[in-house]
Amino acid sequence: MEYIGEHLGIGKIGNIFVILSFVFALLASVSYFFAAKDTDDSASWKRIARIAFRIHGIGVFGIVCTMFAMLYNHYFEYEYVWHHSNKEMPIRYILSCFWEGQEGSFLLWTFWHVVIGLVLQRTAKKWESPVMATISLVQVFLASMLLGITIFDYHLGSNPFTVLLRDNPDFANIPLLTDFNLIDGHKINNYISKIDGRGLNPLLQNYWMTIHPPTLFLGFALTVVPFAYAIAGLWKKNLTDWLKPALPWTFAGVAVLGVGVLMGGAWAYEALSFGGFWAWDPVENASLVPWLTLVGTAHLMLINRNKGQSLFITFGFAILTFILILYSTYLTRSGILGETSVHSFPTAGMSGQLLAYLLCFLIMGIVLLIINWKNFPKQTEEEGLWSREFWMLVGAIVLLVSSFQIIFYTSIPVWNKLFGMNKAPLKEVVKFYNDWQLPFAFITTLLIAIGQFLKYKNTDLILFFKKIALSLIVSLALTIFMIYILNFTNTYYSILLFSSIFAAVANFDYMVRVLRGKIKKAGASIAHIGFALVLLGALISTSKKDIISKNTSGKDLKGLGETFSNDDNILLTKGDTLNMGNYFVTYIGKRQEGINIYFDVNYFTKDATGKLTKEFSLAPLVQTNPRMGNIAEPDTRHFATFDVYTHVTYADLEFKEPKKDNNDEYDEAKKYTIKKGDTIFSSNAIIIFDSLSTNFDKSKYKLNDSDIVVLAHLRVLDIEKKYETTPAYIIRKSEVQKVESKVDELGLKFVFSKINTENGKIDISLQEKKSNARDFIVMQAMIFPYINILWLGCIIMAIGTILAIIERLKKVS
Amino acid sequence: MKKIHVLGIIFIAVAIGAIFTTLSTPFTSTYASFAEAASETGREFHVVGKLNKDKKQIYEPKVNPNLFTFYMVDNKGAECEVILHKNKPQDFERSEQIVLIGKMQNQVFEASDILMKCLALEK
Repeated sequence: MEYIGEHLGIGKIGNIFVILSFVFALLASVSYFFAAKDTDDSASWKRIARIAFRIHGIGVFGIVCTMFAMLYNHYFEYEYVWHHSNKEMPIRYILSCFWEGQEGSFLLWTFWHVVIGLVLQRTAKKWESPVMATISLVQVFLASMLLGITIFDYHLGSNPFTVLLRDNPDFANIPLLTDFNLIDGHKINNYISKIDGRGLNPLLQNYWMTIHPPTLFLGFALTVVPFAYAIAGLWKKNLTDWLKPALPWTFAGVAVLGVGVLMGGAWAYEALSFGGFWAWDPVENASLVPWLTLVGTAHLMLINRNKGQSLFITFGFAILTFILILYSTYLTRSGILGETSVHSFPTAGMSGQLLAYLLCFLIMGIVLLIINWKNFPKQTEEEGLWSREFWMLVGAIVLLVSSFQIIFYTSIPVWNKLFGMNKAPLKEVVKFYNDWQLPFAFITTLLIAIGQFLKYKNTDLILFFKKIALSLIVSLALTIFMIYILNFTNTYYSILLFSSIFAAVANFDYMVRVLRGKIKKAGASIAHIGFALVLLGALISTSKKDIISKNTSGKDLKGLGETFSNDDNILLTKGDTLNMGNYFVTYIGKRQEGINIYFDVNYFTKDATGKLTKEFSLAPLVQTNPRMGNIAEPDTRHFATFDVYTHVTYADLEFKEPKKDNNDEYDEAKKYTIKKGDTIFSSNAIIIFDSLSTNFDKSKYKLNDSDIVVLAHLRVLDIEKKYETTPAYIIRKSEVQKVESKVDELGLKFVFSKINTENGKIDISLQEKKSNARDFIVMQAMIFPYINILWLGCIIMAIGTILAIIERLKKVS
Repeated sequence: MKKIHVLGIIFIAVAIGAIFTTLSTPFTSTYASFAEAASETGREFHVVGKLNKDKKQIYEPKVNPNLFTFYMVDNKGAECEVILHKNKPQDFERSEQIVLIGKMQNQVFEASDILMKCLALEK
């Protein structure tokens, strides 16, 4: 069989780049290793290593370019291209296709390591060889993820350039691939001209998904620098010199990884309907935890730069952070999370490989630490109780405990597998994590507040309290004010509210009064203010999140049982206007755009005279996602002080033909057997059976006194009005007559069809006009107050950290 | 005792607390069958199974948008009525596998949440 129209040449080129990147990473690693040994040959080894790493870099750039070319030209003969893109997809999402799959995301990571490596080659000076030896070794492992070769039945990596669509066993016998035309005795198959790709998951077709992954992976990649420096320090038995050059890199990691994690939160807030920016999802936790330990690393490194204290722990943190990055990759890529996470990657059979790398680097770190145990300086004097270094150490340990708690609970699927358990995270997992993390957040923010006011070595306590008193008083006043306006009732939340405000205020105070507004020096203060604001925004928006879509349809459902009280959904019938929170809302109708079905809802406010004014409209949507089924995506209206966040939880996705003019026709009758006080529902009202009576003007119907007339008194409630209606049951000379009653405004007709004198129950048949059946949606809406403080804090934190990096770089050079 | 040792002890104590809450029952749920869930009413369980498409499903959003009842067969083949105190999930009929989170009460599984795996449409 001959397949025509395939572009196999480009795959061969890509494969050459893959091999190039792997082989030269290996060569760079080995030659940097020998270069670092300080022998006579080290200079020539270093020359080889530098060139090798650059060729490795060319290989990686080559892979990236080839992959782009394949995606851009829609070469669906390659499975990766077919799997992650299609012809209809807007070109701006081509980047997202690139890293949707495992291979692409590993490539992104490798790419950042190359960039970092090239910078280190120019700047690391005497540390270049030992540091680059480790980074090159990491690159060997990462490059092998793309090799796609089989050694002794073990499949090493997955190569996007050699895996062809037609080799996929799932497609083995489909006619598209097996049919052929005989031309000049050749069997010709031209499937290429007929196929289209599977496309990018529509959920990822979001601008956050073009910038979140590269930012996050740059953050991941930056953690390799303190790790490599720490390993180099242990290896070269030079335990302190590495801190100075490694610090700016560590700060950069803190800024980039922090922003990357929050960008993921922003995407979740915008595109997913779990109702918030943070759900303690395993994938989120897996990137948060290394950030926490990286922040710890950075602060411990600072202590050591200024005072030679807690050096061993500093090494431990730097190594642990990188191990946690590998572990988080393992968690999210191995498929072990299974049902506990909504957005882990599909497996590509690389979990064994990942685990091997993790263990390799873990053992390397531990062995080096043990070998060097004796070389660590014995601490002769203890940290002073009121010294900055002591409380920074406390802070780092708090971050470590906090990380430990998060990662240990997140790893439940791993423990299940290891110990044969069958545990699952709680339904109330968010509350569980919040409860655990609240004290840690409290201590951390408190330490952030006082940290800079404490002096290295020892602090004059009286002076310290004099300095911090102002911030303390201002913060207390602000806290009380905010507790009042936000109506905070939870004591623990109020305490965290105070400590976060205190952290922001004290650092602001430090910046203004102590640093006298010298912005250049204020990196740390600004970053701390940013972090405090992130926590403050998270605390207020989460704890005061107000679900406004309670049932306000005027139907009193509370009396119907316990299950009715927990409703967070509102039912909106097309055209009706209902009260929801401070708004009045009307569901206008639905419309389809591509695979998205939008549900337009208008929001009004009512003034004193009762006049409705339209404020805005929102169109939450349901995406008929061909890969994942129907997915509700929220729509959010952003205001300065709050967000209105809405998503559809249930809706009829069919677009029915508008009905013909059959307004007067009734649907089939529904029969209800009810007793006094019972409630029945029509599509637009609730009907309560109040009582029976015989109070009837018989003369009107020319009835005799001996005839029996029973009236059922029905109270009909719709959203605005109350109606009374009384269908009648008449026994006239042993013959039963039923007099129907109508509520014309609501299109309802009632017939009193039977009476049971023994138990007092009656039969009512209810008929509705066909025109009553209107389109409706079930929607959830919530208010997130002051969520903008969080996003603002994120930006401030990044700016502060960048300032700190610039300051540190000056010290390095 | 040095201050660093005090810190170490506090760290270990809190870490043990974290391990304990991860591994002990009140803080975790368990994957179970309906029978196991019935043996301990009032405790939260995760039950995995399939929708019984032959039995009736009741969802009347106009009456209560937060109430949906259906029948599910767990992985051991036992069937149970399920009351989900939420909206009926979009695409429910297409679900391949269901994970219910909730408690067994009076022979009925009262689910507070549901996770679904849908059939892949392509191929």
